[in-house]
Amino acid sequence: MLTINKTAEKSHITIALQGEVDASNSVELDEVIQEALDDNIKNILVDGTDLQYISSAGLGVFMSYLEDFNEHNILFIIYGLNEKVMNVFHILGLDQLITIIDSREEAEKLVHEA
Amino acid sequence: MVKLPQIQRGKIYILLAVLSWMGLLLVNLIRVFGEINQMEGVISKEITWVLEILFFIWLYIYFNDSIKKNENRNFIDFIWRPASTGLIATGTSFLIIFFYYLLGDSRLSKDLLLMNFFYHVNFAVVSIFLISTTLSWKHLILYQKSKAIVQQWQAYEVILLISMFFVLISQASFNYGFMFGLIFLIIYGAILSINLKWIPYLTFREKWKSILFMVIIIACTVYLFFRLVSYTQQNIHFVNLSENLFLLGLFVFVLLYAVFSLLVTLFNLPTSSVFEQKLTEAISFQKLSQSIKPGENEEQVLDILMDSCMSAAYVDAGWLELHPSEPEESSKIQLQKFISNGERQEVLELLRKVEPFASYLTKRSGIKKEYLYGQIPHETYKSVLLLSVSVNKKSLGDIFLLKEVKDGFNKEMINIITTFVGQTSISIENHRLLNEAIKNERYREELEIAQRVQRSLLPSELHHNNSFEIDGFSAAADEVGGDYYETFRFDNENFALIIGDVSGKGTSAAFNMSQMKGVFHSLVQLNLSPKIFLSKANSALSRCLEKNNFITTTYYTINTSMKEIHFARAGHCPTLFYSQGKGCSRFLNIKGMGLGIVRNEGYENYLEEGYLKYQPGDVMVMYTDGIVEAKNQENQEFGYDKLRLLLDQYKALSAREIKSKIVDEVYDFVGRETLPDDDYSILVIKFNA
Repeated sequence: MLTINKTAEKSHITIALQGEVDASNSVELDEVIQEALDDNIKNILVDGTDLQYISSAGLGVFMSYLEDFNEHNILFIIYGLNEKVMNVFHILGLDQLITIIDSREEAEKLVHEA
Repeated sequence: MVKLPQIQRGKIYILLAVLSWMGLLLVNLIRVFGEINQMEGVISKEITWVLEILFFIWLYIYFNDSIKKNENRNFIDFIWRPASTGLIATGTSFLIIFFYYLLGDSRLSKDLLLMNFFYHVNFAVVSIFLISTTLSWKHLILYQKSKAIVQQWQAYEVILLISMFFVLISQASFNYGFMFGLIFLIIYGAILSINLKWIPYLTFREKWKSILFMVIIIACTVYLFFRLVSYTQQNIHFVNLSENLFLLGLFVFVLLYAVFSLLVTLFNLPTSSVFEQKLTEAISFQKLSQSIKPGENEEQVLDILMDSCMSAAYVDAGWLELHPSEPEESSKIQLQKFISNGERQEVLELLRKVEPFASYLTKRSGIKKEYLYGQIPHETYKSVLLLSVSVNKKSLGDIFLLKEVKDGFNKEMINIITTFVGQTSISIENHRLLNEAIKNERYREELEIAQRVQRSLLPSELHHNNSFEIDGFSAAADEVGGDYYETFRFDNENFALIIGDVSGKGTSAAFNMSQMKGVFHSLVQLNLSPKIFLSKANSALSRCLEKNNFITTTYYTINTSMKEIHFARAGHCPTLFYSQGKGCSRFLNIKGMGLGIVRNEGYENYLEEGYLKYQPGDVMVMYTDGIVEAKNQENQEFGYDKLRLLLDQYKALSAREIKSKIVDEVYDFVGRETLPDDDYSILVIKFNA
């Protein structure tokens, strides 16, 4: 089960993921990110506080947008991941490519600095 | 052994019958001649009786035989035969009377010998008529026979046989014994005569024919009886051939059965059409319920349905409107029967205005009832029945049935038609299910092939030397999976080892896995360092993997003489290593990045190369994320810690045993009954020297 909440704020949007991302629902995640890209949003935060599990298909979604983020100078930050999910990002090496930080405050700080 | 052909048997019976008749004639002529000339006791009466009995028996056998050959004739034939025989017998009798009329008062007309001859001719034709008719009746009585009826008939035949000989026992005419025998025969014949099961199967026309023939038979029987009696009364000199229980019994039986049949047929006439209708309905139903055979299509079944509905309710016109399978298409009119396009449009216009049809036709909402029935103010068609044919709860089309009379459809008609429609739905549904099943079967076969091919992608034997043991296990969640491991031997001391996991699972993962195998075999020959190997693999795979696909892998090179291992990790689960020296297991966590994630030259920067020296007793466990992410019913993951503790526990066992223990543990954790939702693979190396 995956619930995605998208909240737009002045400087950025926050995509909150709740539950599990797997092969069956990774498309939903993909759609949300694609939407944000289409809307020309420059700062995208992903709230992973309630993300319990992410499968390789879910990781594939983030991975497939890395180039787009670089190209369009988009700040893409994931925050609040629990240890287990963080470990998944870490093992794959995605933490070297995506800014993954602990808290929302830090994330917002980064957005303001940019 | 000489075998007599079938045809000759009948001829022999005829010949024997004729011979006994001629013998009978001769004997009686001689007796009459003797009586005229006052010679007494020339020939005893017994000889006459015996010859008569023989004649009966041969005739009976002959007709029994000839009817058996024609078992498959229809009922009318079985009635026509006795009727025609009766006519011939009657005709013969009339000819004799006509002959005497021509003779007038001449001396010849008073001649007893000639009269006796004609008496015998008359007797012969009557016997032929009675016996052949009896055997026709036998066939009709035994239609749809039960054991009881067959036994009854056999008993009757025995009684008839006994009755032939009765004359030998008691020669006094019409004594009590004779009367008792006759009454018994009459009652028994009457009981047999209630077996009239063939009558309902006659069509209306056939029933009329049957009535006509029965009348002929009854008339002939009655006439012939009185004719024979009058002969006997006129000529006291003759031996009374007709005073035989057998002959009289047959007279009664033939007459009774004919009368019974006549009456029953007569009373069956009014209901005949109903019976016929039910029969056609049963046949229609059978046609509809037979599943569509290969080569036939749904339209043929719908055609049968239309015909069946129309004949079941005497429908004057009708059509079938097939709903489009795609919303954009328009409805297709099919199987338009006895109605022109113009009239159909007129009726449809009216239907759109008249309830209960209007709400259904305009809204196109599903019929809640099985049918809609109502009247329309059309000049030709007054009553309309509208039925919806649906397959798998999806409407296939509507059937419109029109009748020229008001209130043309009664409850029974509607019942039978809805049954037809229901059966058709089932037939079509079965047909579709069957087609689907065939298609699925084909897919399944394809998948099985894919499975076999993929199994062959995993090595059946893993390269090693005496310094270490190695054992592996792999199970796919679906028919095919995305896990991969392989070994390679450079020389006796140098080996390469790879374990990998393709993102996603199932068929797409399996395709990518086979690409990975190709890349491995191409690059491994170059004997590259693990870091360079992965960097080149990344470059190769970046060109073939889809945008959101990646592969995680760890590549190892092992040198058994130096006892050293070089490895690099491309985003794959960290290797678990048990060190004999330290006495505990740990994960070899080095920096790494999955293949296909960074698709440019910068990839190498994200890699790190690991190096370690091993000792005898060390164990290396390589696995895919399916193992550590395996979930139990409480949604807890198997996890890294559990795996590490397991190795600590079983490190002393052989590589094969360690592997089995871990695999068992994972399956126990998940629950044996639950299907795995990811591919599991594990590879265990134990260093011995």
